[in-house]
Amino acid sequence: MPRLIAFLWATCLIAAPNDAVFKDRIQPLLTEHCNACHSQAKASGGLTIASLDQLLTGGKHGRALTPGNASQSLLIQYIKGEKNPRMPLGGELPADALAKLTAAINEMAPLAETTKSADPHMDWLLHKPQPPSIPAAQNKAWIRNPIDAFILSKLESKSLTPAPPADRRSLIRRVYFDLIGLPPSPEEVQEFATNTAPDAYEKLIDKLLADSRYGERWARHWLDLARFAESDGFAIDGERPTAWRYRDYVIRAFNKDKPYDQFIKEQLAGDELERGAGADRLTALGFLRMGTWEADANFKTQLRQDVLNEITTTIPQVFLGLTVGCARCHDHKYDPIPQRDFYRFQSFFAATRVEDRPAPFTEVENPALMKRLMRQYEDESETASEGLKKIEERLKQKYITAKNLKPDDKNAADFLKALKDQKDPIYTADERKEHERVKTNARKFSDAFPRYRPVAYAVSDVVPPQVPSVAETYVLAGGELANKGEKVEPGFLSCITGKSEPATIPFAGGSSGRRTALASWIASPDNPVTARVMMNRLWQHHFGDGIIRTPSDFGKNGDRPSNPQLLDYLATQFMEKKWSLKAMHKMMLLSNTYQQSTENPDAKRFTEVDPDNRLMWRMNWQRLEAETLRDSILAVAGRLEKSPGGPGVFLDIPSDVAEGFEFFKWFPSDEKDQRRRTIYTFQRRSVMNQMVEVFDGANMSETCARRSTTTVAPQAFTLLNSEFTNNEAKHFAQRVIELAGPAREKQIDKAFWLAVDRAPSAIEAQRAATLFEKSPPDQALTRLGVVLFNLNEFLYLD
Amino acid sequence: MPNDQDRRRFLYQSLTGVGGVALMNLLNQAQAAPGPLAPKPPHHAPKAKSVIFLSMLGGVSQVDTFDPKPALSKFDNTVMDWSKEKNTDQPNLFAKPRLILKSPFEFKQYGKCGMPVSDLFPHLATCVDDMAFVRSIQAENGNHPAAVFLMNTGAVIPGRPSVGSWVTFGLGSENQNLPAFVVLPDFRSIPFSGSQQWGSGFLPASYQGTVLRWKGEPIRDLNPPESVSADAQREEMDLLRTYNQEWLKTHFSNPDLQGRIDAYELAYRMQAEVPGVLSLTKESQATKDSYGMNEPETESFGKRCLMARQLVERGVRFVQIYTPSQSWDSHTELIKGHRKNAKETDKPIAGLLKDLKQRGLLDSTLVVWMGEFGRTPDNPADLRDKAGRDHNTRAMTIFFAGGGTKPGTVTGATDDLGFKAVQDIYRMRDIHATVLHLMGLNDMRLTYYSAGRNMRLTDTGGAVIKQVLA
Repeated sequence: MPRLIAFLWATCLIAAPNDAVFKDRIQPLLTEHCNACHSQAKASGGLTIASLDQLLTGGKHGRALTPGNASQSLLIQYIKGEKNPRMPLGGELPADALAKLTAAINEMAPLAETTKSADPHMDWLLHKPQPPSIPAAQNKAWIRNPIDAFILSKLESKSLTPAPPADRRSLIRRVYFDLIGLPPSPEEVQEFATNTAPDAYEKLIDKLLADSRYGERWARHWLDLARFAESDGFAIDGERPTAWRYRDYVIRAFNKDKPYDQFIKEQLAGDELERGAGADRLTALGFLRMGTWEADANFKTQLRQDVLNEITTTIPQVFLGLTVGCARCHDHKYDPIPQRDFYRFQSFFAATRVEDRPAPFTEVENPALMKRLMRQYEDESETASEGLKKIEERLKQKYITAKNLKPDDKNAADFLKALKDQKDPIYTADERKEHERVKTNARKFSDAFPRYRPVAYAVSDVVPPQVPSVAETYVLAGGELANKGEKVEPGFLSCITGKSEPATIPFAGGSSGRRTALASWIASPDNPVTARVMMNRLWQHHFGDGIIRTPSDFGKNGDRPSNPQLLDYLATQFMEKKWSLKAMHKMMLLSNTYQQSTENPDAKRFTEVDPDNRLMWRMNWQRLEAETLRDSILAVAGRLEKSPGGPGVFLDIPSDVAEGFEFFKWFPSDEKDQRRRTIYTFQRRSVMNQMVEVFDGANMSETCARRSTTTVAPQAFTLLNSEFTNNEAKHFAQRVIELAGPAREKQIDKAFWLAVDRAPSAIEAQRAATLFEKSPPDQALTRLGVVLFNLNEFLYLD
Repeated sequence: MPNDQDRRRFLYQSLTGVGGVALMNLLNQAQAAPGPLAPKPPHHAPKAKSVIFLSMLGGVSQVDTFDPKPALSKFDNTVMDWSKEKNTDQPNLFAKPRLILKSPFEFKQYGKCGMPVSDLFPHLATCVDDMAFVRSIQAENGNHPAAVFLMNTGAVIPGRPSVGSWVTFGLGSENQNLPAFVVLPDFRSIPFSGSQQWGSGFLPASYQGTVLRWKGEPIRDLNPPESVSADAQREEMDLLRTYNQEWLKTHFSNPDLQGRIDAYELAYRMQAEVPGVLSLTKESQATKDSYGMNEPETESFGKRCLMARQLVERGVRFVQIYTPSQSWDSHTELIKGHRKNAKETDKPIAGLLKDLKQRGLLDSTLVVWMGEFGRTPDNPADLRDKAGRDHNTRAMTIFFAGGGTKPGTVTGATDDLGFKAVQDIYRMRDIHATVLHLMGLNDMRLTYYSAGRNMRLTDTGGAVIKQVLA
């Protein structure tokens, strides 16, 4: 309260002189030149000029006058013609009047800073979290670790009580899917259900965190944020042959529990971190290049600006939970982020250019194999293109003979046209087919070998002496490249640092050092948002919803934290534990909050108090993500293949889709490779896997912090009728028969155990048996498999 | 509310075991359909209930179709130096000498309104009294992929919701047995970036466009594989429902579970309804012929236009039909290229407009015809022998028909040579605002929170083109 009063007092003090400046020096000019259209009566564009307040409120384009900053004032921008139409309409303000107006506005006291810190949420957000004291709660027996104390004290304050613990089967399934994205085997469930050792649960968590499938699961969350894809998007959607190395890097980073601060630094400035940085650190830079890329853009300066805008928008969302991108064309409408800060942030990348950098494969990437495969495909490509040359030479000769041309006639090249034209009588259908086959084959190998090149899909900085100086950055009015305004230097967000001075840039050898400066600032324990944002992401994936439910927007327009002290506790613990994600997973999973059932007996009453379960009086439901769903089907069918990483796997796609591409060909991988986990499938922006597409996969073009979970009919088509489901169901049936033997009851029992880790109820078993009445067991079990894969129980974790 | 749910549960339970999916189907029809596609009230009284969006990919030349420029004859074959012209959208366009080319097509006036139409569109020429032309549209980007995104989503980058998604998000659908937003591409060459052009972006996936194919299986995996008979599928669906209902009894805290049971019922109904739309067996031969389905050149576009009529008749909210990617992009051989594309679309679109009108559907159906940009009246001079036209972001002619637009009118004008719009200039987002307005939606109010703000289809702009409103 004292702060609020002080603040109001401060505004009054400031407001008075501004009013005077307005009355004496601004209003007379405006009345003379603008009153015809912007009077109270007419209010063109919603703007009236009768008082300072009205100018501050502004018209339909927003605040017309920014005290203390004439160049940011819309009023001035329109008068100067920086914005269309130039004002006053059809005329021009005399130069001396403009000068007076500009001076008067610049002399006014700025409002911005004072109004902005008035928001208690932003005040909390923009200050470094302090370790909060652990709150007291009555039901001490329920508190397993401090997380529970934070949760329980809130619940008790609203007279709510936690749900009973989840049963052992639900719990082990929850932990398996959460940590490794796959279901436990029936044996693991049975073992856990009967294991009464007090540390059984903790040991389970430790086991799964040490499992390499943990990285495969959690890397997917990060790849969503990183808008990871292996193609450019836009018309050509060209392949990024070694982008897969970034995917494998992320998997390894999670598996190694790479400290998060280090993880940030490598992705933003890996090349600058130390001299002769290892290949992994170049690979990590892929993060900066994952945005879309218009390869055939004919305006390269604009393309560069588009890429810079994309990076400047994505990085703050991902690492800072701030929507800095909203300030590209104007000051942020909600958060204290001036437009100037967008371009100061962008300036950290002014020297950055895209570059495929030589990066030898590291030991874990199996360099010998990579080398062998690259050579092999290169050779095969050469052989194939020689074969193509030969056949084309032969076909050309035929054309020359048929057309009676001289051997060196230029028009002989038209034989390719004749080959394309199905009606041309020179060639037979077989010749055309053969040519197409050889050509396609050559393409297959020429596509393949670049994937094995020891190259990182990365960036580098262009600095002196390569160029005279690092490119300059300007504030761009309206975000338009043509409207260069003030020149700016790299600088951190002023809402966090409280300053708008340029950042100190460290020396970085042949690079600019700018990215290191930014990375160190983001990955610093003094940064108020970095740790909170990441802990909120972790919480969201474990508990189904974030403490802040807009995980990449912590700003004013985003969600308010349901439990800010808890988030601060997690953030401070995270930094204390040296940014270890595994330590924090374990802490969250060990809490009793996590181990609750999804059903609370008092749900009806509690829903009235807290309809969205923000206080966690029960566990939230989670639906399997598209990748987890596909992986789980493969797993229960006993067909999931381990992957050593490496270039992406091309899944079968319908032939009419495959034939529709203008700029690339699609060659499905071997059947066995196609059974790897979905994270290893090739991510082409214009060719989404059907299952991933209908089950709300990330769209790959923009950063995705939270997937939606829609329920639409095409999901039913895909999961019931697709070749994938039906084929895997067939293998599932075989597996059931192998494991259960010939007895029907045992088969049904086994089918349920494999699919949902439990025995069927009597009714369920009885109904399943009806499938066997008309069909032989393998067919009946295949149908049962399809049904089990479609169960709500298969898709939703309770 | 609980009563309703109990009743539904009772229905399911009492029907379980009799395998009565068909009966279920009937009962479900009668119930108000819940879910994201349930009809929603508009912001104001709508003029149109459905949209048919005819997308002419590649960019149609306005001076050769609906915006005649007699002055071009005077300068025909003249080399011009425009290098002092400023064009920030296409900075390189006028850097080199340009060659003016008069229109090789003949214009005549048609209808009561006397609208000039070139001989490329003999059939559409007979519909001009039902059309509202706008000759002054400007695109903001001269590259095909970006401009197609702009046409569909209002943004030049991939990943934003398309206009069809916004409309279905705003209004839901009148028919719960068919997708609300249907896309009918030409499979010879689908638009750049494929499904991202009809994607729902940050809107929930329920609002994404569903592609219906006019040959082969209409929706991917609509039907079970051949090894699964219709009986077997029904058995699967019944068993699945039994199991899901059983599980629901002990897991009541999750409302999605019931939603998912419903989604399977919808899928089952779609299986029955979609092939009906596609077979067109109930249409007379005369109707099919009027859409050009009896000629090989017009069969594809004609059939898709007829499907569009059937779909809007059944309450589908938004139908988008595409020509092949870049089909109108006549940089060279304008005569050949434009003749071919006009031939493929002229009769089908005229057939559609007349059929809609005759059935009284034109009033409630908004037809929009446009490309991603227009074309210049000239070409680079070094392409002298090629007789083509360039991309033009500064002038494009589009037309609306029906759905509360003012028939027989022309809005806006271009300069004497057709280079750029000079009067009543509108942009893509104004077209979007107009479509929303006619559908009863206000583009300022149709918002969805994403990435830090309430996003709109028209982003930071958008003005309804008032002149086309009836």
